[in-house]
Amino acid sequence: MKRILLGLLLAASIQAQPVVAPTPERAGEAKGEDLAGYNVVNSIETGYRFRTVDGNLGKYRSDVNFGNGIRVLGSYLTINSKKPGAGKLFDEIVLSTQGLGNDPYQFSSLRVQKDKIYRFDSVWRWMDYFNPALTIANGQHAINSTRQLQDHDLILLPQSRFRLLLGYSRNQQDGPSFSTIQFPDGRGDEFTYLWNIRRTRNEYRLGTEFEVLKTKVHVLHGWEYFRDDTRAPLFSPGAGANPADTATLTQFRRDEPTHGQAPYWRIGIHNEALKSFTFDGRFTHTTGQRNFVVDELAIGTGRFSAAQNRQVFVGGNARRPVTTGNVTLSWFPLERLTLTNHTALYNTRMEGEGSYGEFANAVGGLNFLNFQYLGIRTFANLTDANLKLTPWLGLYSGYHFSERRIGSSQFEDIDPPARLDRSEQTNRLHSGLLGLRLQPVKQLRLSVDGELGRADRPFYTTSEKDYHAVAARAQWKTKRWSLLGRYQTNYNLNSNSLFVHSARTRLASIDGAFTPKPFLTLEAGYGHTHIETVTGLAYFSLGELIENDRSLYRSRLRQVRLGAQLNLARRADLYFGYHRIQDAARLGQSLMDQAFPLTYETPLARFSLQLHKKLRWNFGWQYYNYREQFLALQDYTAHTGYTSLSWSF
Amino acid sequence: MSPVLRAWGFVLFSTLLWAQPKDPFIGSQACRACHTAQTQDFFRNAHTKADRACESCHGPGRAHVNAGGKKDLIIAFSALSPQKSLDNCLQCHSKDWSRNNIRRSSHTQAEVVCSNCHSVHKAATPKHLLANQQKDLCYSCHTDVKAQFSMPFKHRVNEGTVQCADCHNPHGAPAPTWRMGQRPRMQQHAQANEQSCVQCHADKRGPFLFEHAAVRVDGCGSCHAAHGSANPRLLNRPVVFTLCLECHNGAPGFGRQGQGIPLQSGSHNMADPRYQNCTTCHVKIHGSNADARFLR
Repeated sequence: MKRILLGLLLAASIQAQPVVAPTPERAGEAKGEDLAGYNVVNSIETGYRFRTVDGNLGKYRSDVNFGNGIRVLGSYLTINSKKPGAGKLFDEIVLSTQGLGNDPYQFSSLRVQKDKIYRFDSVWRWMDYFNPALTIANGQHAINSTRQLQDHDLILLPQSRFRLLLGYSRNQQDGPSFSTIQFPDGRGDEFTYLWNIRRTRNEYRLGTEFEVLKTKVHVLHGWEYFRDDTRAPLFSPGAGANPADTATLTQFRRDEPTHGQAPYWRIGIHNEALKSFTFDGRFTHTTGQRNFVVDELAIGTGRFSAAQNRQVFVGGNARRPVTTGNVTLSWFPLERLTLTNHTALYNTRMEGEGSYGEFANAVGGLNFLNFQYLGIRTFANLTDANLKLTPWLGLYSGYHFSERRIGSSQFEDIDPPARLDRSEQTNRLHSGLLGLRLQPVKQLRLSVDGELGRADRPFYTTSEKDYHAVAARAQWKTKRWSLLGRYQTNYNLNSNSLFVHSARTRLASIDGAFTPKPFLTLEAGYGHTHIETVTGLAYFSLGELIENDRSLYRSRLRQVRLGAQLNLARRADLYFGYHRIQDAARLGQSLMDQAFPLTYETPLARFSLQLHKKLRWNFGWQYYNYREQFLALQDYTAHTGYTSLSWSF
Repeated sequence: MSPVLRAWGFVLFSTLLWAQPKDPFIGSQACRACHTAQTQDFFRNAHTKADRACESCHGPGRAHVNAGGKKDLIIAFSALSPQKSLDNCLQCHSKDWSRNNIRRSSHTQAEVVCSNCHSVHKAATPKHLLANQQKDLCYSCHTDVKAQFSMPFKHRVNEGTVQCADCHNPHGAPAPTWRMGQRPRMQQHAQANEQSCVQCHADKRGPFLFEHAAVRVDGCGSCHAAHGSANPRLLNRPVVFTLCLECHNGAPGFGRQGQGIPLQSGSHNMADPRYQNCTTCHVKIHGSNADARFLR
């Protein structure tokens, strides 16, 4: 018992199972069955999922969201021709699904291929997203939407020197949400209104890969089409957020369609004609464009109860061409030495035009919106060397340099007449890297890495300026034991004469797994992450400018993971898991002193019994317990579980 | 068959074997005699398509067979240095677009090469021949990331609908087109040259008439913790206004003109809770086509 307890304490969680279903064990023979020249492996898991929630259901839906009902928890199918290339229409089919029918997270993946003729890959995903937005916007920005993602890729002649690539991706978001509008003007009260999210992104791809003069070339042209037809139909908002404000908004409507396209090119070249030298080139160009219209109507009363209406009309377009070029040279002067140099150039500019019209009580006019130009050009040159001194000792070092120039122009219209302000800002970053790899014995691997960076003019107070990072890692691996220890620290100091931003992150963890017998695996892990940031603040409070305040943020994350997997008589599988994450930072004493103490724990248990070689019965339970000090009304506990049958035909 | 005929047959076979040119390749059939476990289900493996099957990766096997299976006469990946192992795989796999930067990737520098994540003979996933499920593979080293995906707000990696490779390229990525072009090092580029976030969050991509410069200059990570966070919308801070004020503090030397990122308006009284949720009014914080202050 002592040995097991010791194992539990030391062992690491290599394969924690944070979600109880679907069951990883499959029904049917792992080898599959032969049928008409093909080998077939399949398993389908169908069952019922249940949940009971105490506390804040909205927060539970935001974090977990599993509900009640019957669903296909998971399925797996492979069909392979027994002789390579002997299949008539296909040689391989791989299909896996998860959560189909009712789960908030549904997934399917399909591969079909015929040797030397085609390979088709398809991924489909569906997610039910809910966010009550209590903490950040008092529930005024709640979202209840679904997101559907699809990616389909077809490669013709996949094993030849000339390959044809075709692809299609679709991304769709739909559902109701809330947002806010100020009325009667920018200093008015905030009113919540309902709007329906309808966003679609379609992407088509056509490309080729071929080889010429020992150089492999990749050329792909893509067309991305984006449509955002989100609208707020005529709506009667309730009272404003501020009881002291007497303004009312009785009717509100907004349409703001945004449509656009972003065709792009990407070209890649790979050459390794010389044994000791490889060359990789990469070029991309995207011309993104969006056309937009905003049509908004708001009717209500102003601060002094006078009838007020406001109509806003905006129209125009925005463009953002982006070009990148990358060249990677790899040189192997010695068998044990690799030198690489990567040069990257990135250039973009944002441009466009728009017009803005606002009528308040039928009085107003049309203004041209002046585009706020933002151009970014980044040049980076990254050189790295990797030296394997002996079979057990390796060294790595690098010197990276980059320069980013930001050109900007914006109309300043605070003091009429409007004037154009142009500016340019350049930042240079030098960083050095050093690493050491040791393998004194076969089972033990050690590594230490360090990085030191110096930037001369970061854009933001929170950007990286004078930073360093150190990471160390030790791994011990045998057939029965696996142990991994890590330590990492990142420190960034960004300061000038009056303001300072300092961010420090330290993390340490130990994880391990112990397999004393083939039928028993024990896993455990512990990690902590400490984050501390201090940033200078300036803001207005009660009409007074406060300039010498500091924002403090502290996080003390501690995480414990435990797991045990037991196989009984090769027929039953039992899994116990426990996961707890706690932010132990103390809640701050002032408004600018922030922490977010919470506890989130999820124990789980799962049992899977083989009833027949083609049938399994599964049962699982998982408990969620969320507690926070910041806004206790968000707390919840939930019991979730499932029972299912896995079967093979 | 009589012993005499058998003897003549052996002599004839030996003579033919001796007479034919010394081809170092022996063919995969010979491998099956000893390596049953590795070859039994190999018809499922993508490497069956390789020209010389087993010997495409393990090198010519005749000497190994003739020596009765001597280990040092065949390429055994378990005995190769990480660099050699990588070289072997890249003989065929270097042509793919996604592996352009594998020689300088952080994984290669850390001596994490193909065989650390892929298992040709004992793959857990038929696609990509991964040695384990993708998230478990990544978690086995990146334990801090594993902790982040267990936070209340997270991308649904553990739930199975998002994968690490949706945002990261484990084979190495070109220099990022955001921040200073140096870090992060292994992030996938969406479409051709965008941050991977906009592949799904297409509405945040823009272009907008009024861009929130932070998104383009320092990237989504300026405000969001992409893996997971205790804070709604994966924000870096539990309360929105400090996140905004940490940049919008007017500190000289920063921003477009070196005069600081604009300070909040004097009409905003931070002592009033009304002004502590900046995005209540500044709703189009990623970029707006109608208002320079992102109000609509």
